[in-house]
Amino acid sequence: MDKKQMELLQGTLDMLILKAVSLGPLHGYGVLLRIQQISKDRLEIQQGSLYPALYRLEHQGWITSEWGESENKRKAKYYRLTAAGKRKLQTEAEKWNRMADVIAGILQSTPEEV
Amino acid sequence: MRIWSQIQSWARAMMRRSRMEREMDAELRFHVEAFAEDLMRSGVTREEALRRARIEFGGVERAKEECREARGVSLFDGLKQDLLFAVRTLRKNPGFTAIAVLTLALGIAVNATMFSLVSAFLLRRPPGREPNRVVVISGINPAQSFQSDLNGVSAPNYLAWRGANHVFEETAAADEYRSVSLTAQGAETNGQLTSTGRPEALRASAVSPNYFRVLGVSPQSGRTFAEGEDQAGHEHVTILSHELWERRFGSDVSLIGGTIRLNRENYTVIGVMPANFRLMGFVPQLWTPLVLKAGDQTEAARKDRSLTLYARLKPGVTVEQARAEMVTLGHRAEEGFPAIEKGWGIGVRTLPDFLIQNFGVRTGIAVMMTTVGFVLMIACANVAGLLLARAAGRRKELAIRISLGAGRLRIVRQLLTEGMVIALLGGGVGLLLSYWGINFVRANMNFNDYVAAIPISLDWKVVFFALAISVASAVLCGLIPALNASRTDINTSLKDESRAVSASRSQSRLRTVMVTGEIALALFLLVGSGLLIRGLSAIHHQNMGFRPDHLLTASVTLDNAQYKDATQQAAFVRNVLLRLQQVPTAEVVAVTSDLPATGPGKVTFLMKGQAELPANQRPNSLDLVITPEFFRAAGIPLLRGRVFTERDNASGPRVVLVNQEFVHRHLQNQEPLGKQIRLDVSGANPEWSEIVGVVGNTKSYSESTREEPQVYEAMFQRPIPSFSLMLLASSDPNDLAGAMRNAVAQVDAELPLINMMSMPAVIERQANGDPLFLRLLGSFALLALILAAIGIYGLVAYSVGQRTHEIGIRMALGAGKSDVLGMVLRQGLKMTAIGAVLGVLLALPLPKLFEAIFYDLHIQEPALYIIVPAAMAVVTMLATYIPAQRAIRVDPIVALRYE
Repeated sequence: MDKKQMELLQGTLDMLILKAVSLGPLHGYGVLLRIQQISKDRLEIQQGSLYPALYRLEHQGWITSEWGESENKRKAKYYRLTAAGKRKLQTEAEKWNRMADVIAGILQSTPEEV
Repeated sequence: MRIWSQIQSWARAMMRRSRMEREMDAELRFHVEAFAEDLMRSGVTREEALRRARIEFGGVERAKEECREARGVSLFDGLKQDLLFAVRTLRKNPGFTAIAVLTLALGIAVNATMFSLVSAFLLRRPPGREPNRVVVISGINPAQSFQSDLNGVSAPNYLAWRGANHVFEETAAADEYRSVSLTAQGAETNGQLTSTGRPEALRASAVSPNYFRVLGVSPQSGRTFAEGEDQAGHEHVTILSHELWERRFGSDVSLIGGTIRLNRENYTVIGVMPANFRLMGFVPQLWTPLVLKAGDQTEAARKDRSLTLYARLKPGVTVEQARAEMVTLGHRAEEGFPAIEKGWGIGVRTLPDFLIQNFGVRTGIAVMMTTVGFVLMIACANVAGLLLARAAGRRKELAIRISLGAGRLRIVRQLLTEGMVIALLGGGVGLLLSYWGINFVRANMNFNDYVAAIPISLDWKVVFFALAISVASAVLCGLIPALNASRTDINTSLKDESRAVSASRSQSRLRTVMVTGEIALALFLLVGSGLLIRGLSAIHHQNMGFRPDHLLTASVTLDNAQYKDATQQAAFVRNVLLRLQQVPTAEVVAVTSDLPATGPGKVTFLMKGQAELPANQRPNSLDLVITPEFFRAAGIPLLRGRVFTERDNASGPRVVLVNQEFVHRHLQNQEPLGKQIRLDVSGANPEWSEIVGVVGNTKSYSESTREEPQVYEAMFQRPIPSFSLMLLASSDPNDLAGAMRNAVAQVDAELPLINMMSMPAVIERQANGDPLFLRLLGSFALLALILAAIGIYGLVAYSVGQRTHEIGIRMALGAGKSDVLGMVLRQGLKMTAIGAVLGVLLALPLPKLFEAIFYDLHIQEPALYIIVPAAMAVVTMLATYIPAQRAIRVDPIVALRYE
């Protein structure tokens, strides 16, 4: 794998999963692929930590799952965003954007401004 | 919504745990294989691809465990862990565990024992179909203050209401308290039944033929009464109770259709009721048809309110609707017969409710349950104190666990689990103890036939109750220490403990609150039970105004088959007195309508020279009918005038005697001799009678400390069919039972004697369970005192012990022994004072409350409000003084190193 990959910031995996499944139902491996694809392989995701996150999100009612058939005709568990999950994703995204703005603002500050 | 989905997913996880495991396996396997397939596309071999995929995925088992945790399945694993840990910790401290478990066990045992009474008396479902749809209609007496709404209904009202109401499917009537004599049984030979054994008086209930249908019960064998069997000429049929059939007739099935002899007449046995057909408070041994004759429909018959009415509600009709309808019918009766019915109301209650009210055990049980509830609270406070003290000792352990990442919630849960294990163990041991407790209560709940007929047992309701209070006490005694411990400050706790001068502020405050609370609780309980015990034992040891020893008594009811009129009744009394006089060692014999200490009926009267008041405004007095020797037999002193003589008979002028209280209340202490009064006795022509003597007061009801006006009539002037025999002997009266029975049999061989017993036994029976009540209450109070003393001592001594270090510093800095002692004692005294004030304030309204709920109990014991707090103060002072003494004797150097 590419050595230029970044490690995921703590607490952002849930948001990324919600975003990934918001684009359409996905199985666990599909979630992984989609995040890598959208991020253009720049994010490194611990595969082992993906499933506990999925289970947690399902337990909290933000995604639901059902068994279906995969592209290569195999049984796979598909995850889908719920209405509550949609709202959650929205608030999380807003929070993230605000936070990113603030941090960026701080980092861009010059001695004159302070 | 989210909580709901959590619960659902958690429940799914719980229910289908194995399925979830399989699904998780499948999902992870799919991931690895799909990944491997992608890798294979770039040209690697299948094995290599799978290997790389697995490496890339990382620890599968760890991922699975995290998945399970995310799902919440681990809650149960956590509980299991908590349980095992709690059991381990408790086993490491067997002394602590034993004391805590035993304390709770005692508290739970007394509660479970008393609850068996609640279960037996208050939660019992009456027999029959849908007992809640059966109502009991009773009369409400306007002139009665106690249980005024439990009076009977007269036959004319029964007949009127039965036809006029629109709310009942059917209305049945029962005269529940009749007495019949059973004299013979078996096959008729030459027109004579074989006589077996001595005649026996039985409790009988005369019921309308539809009685059993209204209640919805069927006989065990045979049939119940048919329509028409309440008509004269067809009424010689009877249904036996299971108990009588078993005891007297050896469960003989062929008896049905056979004949027995009741009140000198032949009755055909048509059925036997099952053993479980028992209405609480009514214990008839057989049933006969209730025959209402023309005389039962006259206006005079309205005064005889001896029927209990049972009715089944029509479908859809509520009890309230039935009550409203009956109130209307009651008004109609009032308008029609104002002289008799004025003010009388009608009560409508469901059968279960009526039976409980009628039995009148509710207040006694409520007092008992409250008492044991307090005992349990004291026990919980003790265990909470123990847990608190131990939690303080475990501060370091808890701090380490918190700093290693245990959540505070987890710590609370852990400590609560410990409390739960203790409480459930306590509950188990408590149930075991209550097994004996219930046996004891059952063995002693036999002071009358009604109570003895009710089975008290350790049933599932009691077990459930014990479980419930165990869980409640776990929360009560576990929560405060748990919350307190979870607030542990890691930094200070992990530092060397000996640096901390004394227990933290919040902990010592908590202990103060608990000690104060426990003092207040114990005080309230002790004052309360002290008041009741003093009040009831005052009644028990009161001077009753007569001499009960060496008296043998028995009751007789003359049936109207043999004794049709007053002359025949008087003749029987004369003859029986003659025979009784011949019993060896007999000194005085007498006959009385009511034995001393029992409750005679009341009679209204008029005084000559006063205005003719309407019936319900006339003065009243207790009324007894006696033979001349009565006062000598009972040792009641004659104060003025004379007693009755042989000449005071049907042909002589009517005379009466009165007691002192009568003179005091009705004659305002004026000269009573020669005054004329007229008693309103039913069934006799009112006649003016002269007061010829005054006798001493006797107590009428044993539960009453009040003295009532009494008037005595001469038996030979107004003979009555139901009375008691009294035989004063120079030997033990209990040895004379056979002789008395023979004497009566010589006059009438078919007449049974009822309740033959010595006078002290009569008084004991009148006490009606009070001695048992007192004994139980006393032992609960003692238990509470012991528990509270141990608890208070433990808490106070522990907190003084914790201050050994501080005391060392103070003494090293030059404080004198008496200064330190004074300081510690002052603090103890402060807690006691606050607790005592609280407890006394709580207990202040108790005498009023007791007087309101217990009939005729008058409590005046102000001393208790001083004695009990003083005793509590002594306990707390000792609890402070002893450890304080020990603390100041310790060398300051040692104390400073003390941890």
